[in-house]
Amino acid sequence: MEKIRPAVKSFFIFLAILSFIILTGRAQERRLSYEIKVELFPETAMLHGQETIVWTNTTGDYIPDIHFHLYWNAFKNELSTLAREARREKMFSRYRAGKDGRGWIKINSLTTATGKDLLPAASFISPDEPHNPHDQTVLRVALPEPLAPGETIALNIDFQAKVPRNGLRTGYFKDGFFIAQWFPKPGVYEEGRGWNCHEYHLNSEFFADFADFRVEITVPSRMVAGACGQEIEKKEDTASGKTTYTYVGKNIHDFAWTASPRFIKVERWFRAAEEVTPEEYQKMAEILGLTPEEIKLPDVLMILLIEKQHEKQIERHFKALRAAIKYYGLWYGPYPYPTVTMVDPPFRTGSGGMEYPTLFTAGTSVILEKDVLSPEQVIVHEFGHGYWYGMVANNEFEEAWLDEGINTYSTGKVTDLAYGPGRLPVRFKGIPLNWLIKTPAVYDWQLGRIVSSPVAALDPIVTESWKFYNSMSYSANVYYRASTALHTLERLLGEKTWSRIMRTYHMRYRFRHPKTEDFIRVVNEISGRDMRWFFEEFFFSAKDFDCGLASVETRLKPERYNGIFDDLPTKNPGQVKQLQKKNSSRKEKIYETAITLRRYGQAKPSPEFPLKLKVEFEDGSVEWREWDAQTRWVRFEFEKPARVKTACLDPEAVWLVDTNLANNSYSSAGPGVRLAAATSRILQLAQNILLTISGLL
Amino acid sequence: MNGCSYIGQGVRRASARFRLAVYLWLILMVLALLAAAPVNSLIRNQLGQLYFPVKPLQPFELYLVDVFLTNQHFFSSFAGFLLSFLSLAVVLFVFLNAGLFGRMLTPDPVVTFREFLADGCRHFWRFLLSLLVFLPFLAIFFLLYRLLSAPLNLWSRQAVTEWPVIIASNLRMLLAILLWTAFKLFLDLARIIIVHERKKVIHAYAAALRFLRRNFLKLWGLYLLLGLGVVLVSFLLLLSVSFSGSATPAGLFFSILLAQLFIIFRLFARQAFIGLEYIYFLENRGNQG
Repeated sequence: MEKIRPAVKSFFIFLAILSFIILTGRAQERRLSYEIKVELFPETAMLHGQETIVWTNTTGDYIPDIHFHLYWNAFKNELSTLAREARREKMFSRYRAGKDGRGWIKINSLTTATGKDLLPAASFISPDEPHNPHDQTVLRVALPEPLAPGETIALNIDFQAKVPRNGLRTGYFKDGFFIAQWFPKPGVYEEGRGWNCHEYHLNSEFFADFADFRVEITVPSRMVAGACGQEIEKKEDTASGKTTYTYVGKNIHDFAWTASPRFIKVERWFRAAEEVTPEEYQKMAEILGLTPEEIKLPDVLMILLIEKQHEKQIERHFKALRAAIKYYGLWYGPYPYPTVTMVDPPFRTGSGGMEYPTLFTAGTSVILEKDVLSPEQVIVHEFGHGYWYGMVANNEFEEAWLDEGINTYSTGKVTDLAYGPGRLPVRFKGIPLNWLIKTPAVYDWQLGRIVSSPVAALDPIVTESWKFYNSMSYSANVYYRASTALHTLERLLGEKTWSRIMRTYHMRYRFRHPKTEDFIRVVNEISGRDMRWFFEEFFFSAKDFDCGLASVETRLKPERYNGIFDDLPTKNPGQVKQLQKKNSSRKEKIYETAITLRRYGQAKPSPEFPLKLKVEFEDGSVEWREWDAQTRWVRFEFEKPARVKTACLDPEAVWLVDTNLANNSYSSAGPGVRLAAATSRILQLAQNILLTISGLL
Repeated sequence: MNGCSYIGQGVRRASARFRLAVYLWLILMVLALLAAAPVNSLIRNQLGQLYFPVKPLQPFELYLVDVFLTNQHFFSSFAGFLLSFLSLAVVLFVFLNAGLFGRMLTPDPVVTFREFLADGCRHFWRFLLSLLVFLPFLAIFFLLYRLLSAPLNLWSRQAVTEWPVIIASNLRMLLAILLWTAFKLFLDLARIIIVHERKKVIHAYAAALRFLRRNFLKLWGLYLLLGLGVVLVSFLLLLSVSFSGSATPAGLFFSILLAQLFIIFRLFARQAFIGLEYIYFLENRGNQG
């Protein structure tokens, strides 16, 4: 563990908080604050909390009610919206729990600052289609009087909650707890449209307003705790054997925490001066059109809560986090919070790989391969959510691609740069087998393209999370298809333009709630082109993009053509005769090559961005053609003194949204030994399977 | 006779009839070619002219995935074909096993293909019946496995770290293998008795049970000892296959050769198990109690 004297450490935290205040100073005035005191009772897996919410109506509307998320009621019974959706997806067994394993949240009292009891005026509602009257994850509380513009209301809530044994993203096992979505949380009020407060769905994440949090968490002293924000106080009560941790989080929209006796807490500093060279600042500044000073990164305190069983992986965790802080910071903007907490979640709590503001969960195994990028990719991805969801806080219920897609794209870029391609894991009974079975090393974008192919025609990327065809369509579309589309957009617009688009979008919508339209607006503004067609084809519609080579035919041009050739009406009557003569007298062989391209899928590019065809002949000559793919097919013909050697549609790999790259190229030699190796492996597999069956009989 | 002598004699008996492994390898090769032909022809058709430069856009394996994903309808039909094919293969394997046991148990070490087929025909029905009679024992196998693995499941379920889960999972697998070898030993012994003593199936099973009542532990120990040797050699062969590169024609040829050697070794190992069990049975059949 790095040794820093407490006074020096406090000084650095003070500096970090100061820079955070300066960096976030531009953010709009916050309308929400929370003060929560909560105690965990591990024996019964219960929470008891008191919460004070101060909410200001910053809109011009008169607001008659407040809608609260009570997420844990999704695990209360088998009729909740989440349970119903899980059953439909045949994933119900994952969330089914015995009586003690169910989770719920109950409000004991809800009063205004003046003591008026609002609980009698509260009722559960089902805002999403199809309505589910049994769902209890959204509570509507009618106010005694509509809240006028500019008016502030303070609410005091006393609540009890049972931690779900194996909930979605939250849970406990024995005395290891990960606590998320645990407190009554208002939805987001949208001016003129009312409350945006959705039920807890199987395929959806969250949406909330930026707020200031002060949370006091009391847990048994044997536990090590961690939470969003910064720990400002730790009080141990030896008499009761309990410790109370106090955390503050400024300008964040959620609050999660964890406690386990098996955690080791390790701290390291991200020192920007050591991580980023002046050359790197200079290069990035040139790309972004800024000065190196404008993109300088701050130091960040990195906190790791890791299970003792994974102690040997501490440095591996920090290395990945350093890469993430560096590249997200350089590309999109400096990390504005003083700390980031990385949690290796307690075993079997079902809470790995999840993001919360200034805190995220990763997840690893006791046996790891060196060339498989796990847990690195999860660490980079979940930290990245601090940018895409944490700061640029889109509505994950309605437009999940805006964080998941952009962040999957960003994760791939960081890991490709920091680590290169990674191998896919091969495991049997928890034992890595990569030493025996060599999987190919793949880049993130290569894998993402493949994963997204099967769902291209299933749902548009921009679909409300719970309205996707199924969970696979949701995840493959919002994570991988969106990421693949962004890679394509980057290649269409060029690195410099694209980098400026991403930075502008991030900095403009930091601490705000942007929508897809905002992203498109930034793309068009910075690129100076109307790229709406791209979003219409690949984000708002479920269209498959597949252009390929239908055929490549090459043949020796005949020395003469037989038939009756007269001089009747042609523009140049002598031409036919001349050609016949030339053909018969020449010594050089001429080959006629016809290459037919087809658009197999429904999606098509804009005529402004045609696909390129590169044809290489055996004499070394190269021909280029362009095709806008507005028609279903096109045929290009060549007359050359050589046969075609290779033909490649989109040789620069711009159109990564193409769902089938196997039909994009032709080579007279074929792929050679690789094809033979693949077919022989299939044969060997068949032999081994048959031999095993024969041995069993 | 000590344990090593039994194993030595079993292996010698298998070596003397090595031709059986070659016959089976050839038959298996034909079957595998038939089973894999639709997939291989699809791959050749779709990727036969693929342009794959030194710096490819993606690894070749991902092109295979592209083919798989764009031809999902083909693979659903192929699954149907494979199921029908395997049903027929099961019947054929019973026939081949009958031939294998028949020739392994004959005193004459010279094996011809005709004799192999003749033995297959001779014992086919009794072997098929022996398989059906084995089904209740299979149920006992699963029951025993569940019972014996219950403490491991409990240990795994209560664990607060990953190690017990991995260890329990691997121990369960080991348990399944050990149990299976015991039951397989029993089935093979019943078949040896069917062939050697020309007994009816039920009587053969009864005789096998009587024999194992006195000799089970020693025979099982020998079986496992031979199994350990087979596992070690298999491991080395698999390791060689994984290290032999297939990026060049020579490397590919070498890796195919090693893979086929592995198949032949597996077939030979099967013969060696039968040989060992038969020798042991011959030596100890008076000791049935």
